[in-house]
Amino acid sequence: MISYILALILILLALLGAPLFAVIIGAAMLGFHAMEVDLAVIAIEIYRIADTPVLLALPLFTFAGYLLGESNTSKRLVRLTHAFLGWAPGGLAIVAFVTCAFFTAFTGASGVTIVALGALLYPALLQADYPEKFSLGLVTVSGSLGLLLPPSLPLILYGIIAQQMDIGIDFTISDLFIAGILPGLLMVVMLSFWSLWANRKRPVPLTEFSIKEAGAAFKESIWEIPLPFFVLGGIYSGYFAVSEAAAATAMYVLVVEVLIYREIKITQLAGIIRESMVMVGGILIILAASLASTNYLIDAQIPMKLFELIQAHVTSKIAFLILLNILLLMLGAILDIFSALVIMIPLILPVAVSYGIHPVHLGIIFLANMQIGYVTPPVGMNLFIAGYRFEKPMDELYRAALPFMLVLFAAVLIITYWPGLSLIFLK
Amino acid sequence: MPTNKKHDKTITGSTVAALHRVEDIILIGLLLLMIGMAVTQIFLRNFFDSGIIWGDVLIRILVLWIGLVGAMTASRQDKHISIDVVTRYLPERAKHISKSVAQLVTASICAVVTYYSLEFVRMEAEYGGNAFAAIPVWVCEAVIPATFAVMALRHFILSFTSFKTVFKPPL
Repeated sequence: MISYILALILILLALLGAPLFAVIIGAAMLGFHAMEVDLAVIAIEIYRIADTPVLLALPLFTFAGYLLGESNTSKRLVRLTHAFLGWAPGGLAIVAFVTCAFFTAFTGASGVTIVALGALLYPALLQADYPEKFSLGLVTVSGSLGLLLPPSLPLILYGIIAQQMDIGIDFTISDLFIAGILPGLLMVVMLSFWSLWANRKRPVPLTEFSIKEAGAAFKESIWEIPLPFFVLGGIYSGYFAVSEAAAATAMYVLVVEVLIYREIKITQLAGIIRESMVMVGGILIILAASLASTNYLIDAQIPMKLFELIQAHVTSKIAFLILLNILLLMLGAILDIFSALVIMIPLILPVAVSYGIHPVHLGIIFLANMQIGYVTPPVGMNLFIAGYRFEKPMDELYRAALPFMLVLFAAVLIITYWPGLSLIFLK
Repeated sequence: MPTNKKHDKTITGSTVAALHRVEDIILIGLLLLMIGMAVTQIFLRNFFDSGIIWGDVLIRILVLWIGLVGAMTASRQDKHISIDVVTRYLPERAKHISKSVAQLVTASICAVVTYYSLEFVRMEAEYGGNAFAAIPVWVCEAVIPATFAVMALRHFILSFTSFKTVFKPPL
């Protein structure tokens, strides 16, 4: 009884803004205490961070992402994409989706995309005669596009948490990287078609393809073009492990942005390292906390009890998936993606696997749903960042983002109920 | 959101600023060491088919250290991941009261973790072996009580600051 009250108090504290890592550790300690386990177990669980080789990828990709966010990569990326895709109908909107997806995959949906790219794309869209509401909605929604594309941090984090759990189906982070590609592209394609349809009565003047401009843009970005090949080629060919690709990327980006483009001064570097490692610390300590709480959950057989409870009411896989969609959309509206992952995956994954859902597919479903959470009130992060960046009131942004959100929602439904889309390239 | 507090020119102020600088330098050193080490390992593995035997262990321990020192810095800047769905819409005064309470509990939880992880490290110092090369395991684990102790202190200060604001007449 007392432990229920204490648990309730902890949840209340979480809602009052207590850091989530403390709430999770507190809950785990309560649980272990009730089971009469020595609380030194908390330190042992935290130390398990050092037993997970693939975690190395997290600080390294984050650092690389912060470096790219601080340099002029966003400008070069827009120019390059525009030179190659800008001639097509709906060109600029498509350019916006593609660049945002690419940039977010590398910078990890931390709001950098809206700040760095939105600020370039929004005025460009207005200048190309796209309506204001449409342009605003586009940049707000695009801030989290690319979450499903490698090497996005949430994708890596999902893999790490799921692998800790020993659920009987083996998969690697590279599998997740492969699985995310088609669903991620589906979102980009559907949003592009929607943009064409939305502007069908207002033909935006086309720009002509210019070999000269394409060449110049290519030359300007020459040092950054190899990046995706580094990451993807290296991992898919099996030449690099994920953590090795992260190390190579961090080193490469560091050299290119600091020594070759010279857009980041050595003096700036200290601040960038600190800010990126604060983000890494925030994520890793929540992960450490959840290693402890997950261990408690498994000891107390809570996922099994949860499964029995749900099994009694939900019999079909489809019904479970519908419930899952609703739950995740609600969660996405109040939790940020990293805490949602570490709190919910240990509970949901065993249940989902019992319903015959592949763990890789679940990861894609989870992140696709969470992506919508970025633009739903009350705490959609993209809404806040776009509101701050473009100085627009929240309700205007929300209304502008709504049609795009509905398109994304349709994509999420396809991704959820068509496992093949995620799993087709897996062995 | 003030991320860099202006330090007054008192002796305490400059001491705190100096300590923050040391903390930054540790964080930067750890990351650069980690990148250097990881790249060296890739290089040795692919071109010379060898590697430093304890290199991979060191890298994994560096991840833990960076995570915890980063978390400690997050406490300093009050930048930990939290749910702000309720507090965002609270009136000013209630916001400070709830923050003060939430931070005080956070400080207590960190203090409890410090105590038990210190026990753990003490046990390991007696019975544990070496982590890599000649470095004993407990040295690598000592980062847990150390960072949690600082976090406990920092969240206590955050709690106290919010508490003080509650009674401050609005400007």
